[in-house]
Amino acid sequence: MDADAEGRPPFFRTWRGAYAAVLAWLLLTVVALTWLSRAFR
Amino acid sequence: MSALDWLVLSGTLAVIVGYGVWKTRGIRSAAAYLRGGEDGRWYTVGLSIMATQASAITFLSTPGQGFDDGLGFVQFYFGVPIAMVVLSATILPIYYRTRVLTAYEYLEQRFDLKTRQLTALIFLVQRGLGTGISIYAPAIILSVVLGWSSLVTTIAIGLLVIAYTVSGGTRAVNQTQQLQMAVMLGGMALAFVVVARQLPDSVSFQDALGVAGALGKLNAVDYSVKLNTRYTFWSGITGGTFVALAYFGTDQSQVQRYLSGESLGQARLGLLMNGLLKVPMQLLILLVGVLVFVFFQFNPSPVFFNGPALDAARGSAAVGAQVREVEARYAAATARKTQVVTAWLDARRAGAGADEAARKAALLEVDAEQQALRKDARKLVQQADPSANPKDADYVFLRFVMERFPAGLVGLLLAVILCAAMSATASALSALGATTMVDFYKRSVNPAVDDAKALRATRWFTAAWGLVAIGFAVVASRLDNLIQAVNILGSLFYGPMLGVFMVGFFLTRVRGTAVFWATLVAQALVLAAFAVSDIGFLWFNVIGCAAVVVVALGLQAVLPNAPPSSPAAA
Repeated sequence: MDADAEGRPPFFRTWRGAYAAVLAWLLLTVVALTWLSRAFR
Repeated sequence: MSALDWLVLSGTLAVIVGYGVWKTRGIRSAAAYLRGGEDGRWYTVGLSIMATQASAITFLSTPGQGFDDGLGFVQFYFGVPIAMVVLSATILPIYYRTRVLTAYEYLEQRFDLKTRQLTALIFLVQRGLGTGISIYAPAIILSVVLGWSSLVTTIAIGLLVIAYTVSGGTRAVNQTQQLQMAVMLGGMALAFVVVARQLPDSVSFQDALGVAGALGKLNAVDYSVKLNTRYTFWSGITGGTFVALAYFGTDQSQVQRYLSGESLGQARLGLLMNGLLKVPMQLLILLVGVLVFVFFQFNPSPVFFNGPALDAARGSAAVGAQVREVEARYAAATARKTQVVTAWLDARRAGAGADEAARKAALLEVDAEQQALRKDARKLVQQADPSANPKDADYVFLRFVMERFPAGLVGLLLAVILCAAMSATASALSALGATTMVDFYKRSVNPAVDDAKALRATRWFTAAWGLVAIGFAVVASRLDNLIQAVNILGSLFYGPMLGVFMVGFFLTRVRGTAVFWATLVAQALVLAAFAVSDIGFLWFNVIGCAAVVVVALGLQAVLPNAPPSSPAAA
C-alpha cells in the first residue's frame, strides 16, 4: 500500500494523479446528488 | 435503558480510554507528547482528522437537520475535498519543511512574534470557549433524554477526556480516535439499517426515497445564486472551501493531527482520505434523518420532540390548553397524512398520472398543515418557558433511538455520541495545551525550560484547559445567548486567520507589521459586516480572508520595507 517511501502515493504515479482522483470523486458525488434531487421530486 | 445497553456503553468507553492510556504509556519527551512520536500512518492521521471534526452535535443535530430540511446541508462539505487537495499540495510541505510544532510557530518564522501570538491568542480564545460547548451541548441533550443531571454528564465526559489526553498527549488522542471513529462509522451504518427496517413492510427503500423526494427532503443540490440562503452549491464550493482551508490548515486542533504523520506522504494521504470520505459520511448521517422523517409519515409522532419541554408547556396555566389543542390537531393531521401518503404511493406504483398528481397535491397540503402546527407548538413551548430550546430537531434522532432501537444498539448509539464528544474535545485540549506551551510559555516566559519540565508543564496546561472547558460548560447552561454568540464568533474568526496564512504562503513581499494590522482591520470589518447585514455566515470566511490579503498588500505598499524575516516562505 505504501509507495510513500519513493515519494509516490499508492495507486497513482504522481501526487497530481491522486489529487485529480479526489476532485473527480467530488464531481461524481455532486452529479449523483443532482440526479437524486431531480429523480425524486 | 436496559442492562445490555449499559454494558455496551460502559464497555465501549472503558476499552477506548484504556487502550489510549495503555498505548501511550511511558512518553518521556515533550516533543513526542506534542507531535505524537511522528510515526502516524495515513489511516491513523485520516481517522484522527475525521474524528476531530465529528463532534457529538454531528450525530445529534445532523440527523435532525435531515429530518427538518432534507439533504441540503451536505453542500456545506463540498469544499472539503477541494481544501484537502489544496492543503496537501501547498501548506503541508511548508509545515513539514519548517518542522513546526504549532501552525502559529510558522507565522513567526515568516512574519514576526506579534503576528504569531495574535493568531495563537485568537485560537486559544475561540477554541477554549468552543471546547466548553462541545462538552456542554451533548451533555444537555443526553440529560434531557436520559433524565440525568447535565452537571453529571458534563463532568463525566470532561474528566474522561482529560484523563487520557493529559496522560498520552497527541499520540493518545490519535490512538483513541481510531477506535472512536470506527465506533461512530459502524454505529451510524447500523442505525441506517435499523431505521430502514422500521419502515412498514409495504414500503420499499425506493418508495421511501419517493416519499422523501415528494416532500422536498432530497433536494441535495441547490444551484440558485442567493447570498442569504445558507446552503447552496455555490456557497458550499466557495465559502465551504474557505472554511475547510481555514479549519484544516490553520486550526491547531487539526494541524496537530497531521503533523503527527510519519512523513509528508502519510500526512497527505490522511488528508486525502478525509477528502474522499467526508461527503459520503455526512450524506449517510443526513439520510438517517430523512429515513426517520419517512418513518413518521406512517407512524404517529409528537408535535415537538423535546419531551420534557413539551410536558412543561402542556402543564402550563398560560398555554396548556392551546398546546393540547395543537397536539390533537397534529395527531389528526398525522393520521390523515398516513392515508394520503399510502394512496399516493399506490397511484405512483400503478403509474396513474392524473390521480398521482392530485394525491401528491393532497399530500403536500397535509404536510404544510403539519409544518404550521409544529411552528405553533414551538412558539407555545417558548411562551411557556423562554429558556427552552426551540430547535427540537436536535432531539429527533436520539428520541427515535431510545424508543425504537433494540436493546444493545441503544447503548452503542449513545457510545457513538459520547465518542464524538470525547474525540473532538480531546483534540482541542491537546491543541490548547500545545499552543499555550509552544507559542507562549516556551517562547516568551521560560525559553530555557528543560525537556522534562516542558513535558510536565504541557500536561498541566492541557489539564487546566480541560478544567476551563468543563467550567465553561457548567456555566454555559445558564447562558444560552452566550453560546450562540460564541458559535457565531467562532465562524467569524476563520476568514482573517486564513488570510494571515495565505499572505504568509503566497505573498512573500508582505511583512509582519502589514499583516498584523491587516488582520485587525479585517477582523473589525467582518464583525461590522456581521452586525449590519444578513449575509450567510459562510461568506464571512471569504470576506475575512480577502480583506487581510488586500489590506496587507495596501499597507505593505506604504510601509517602509524591512528586510525579509523568513526563509520559510521561499
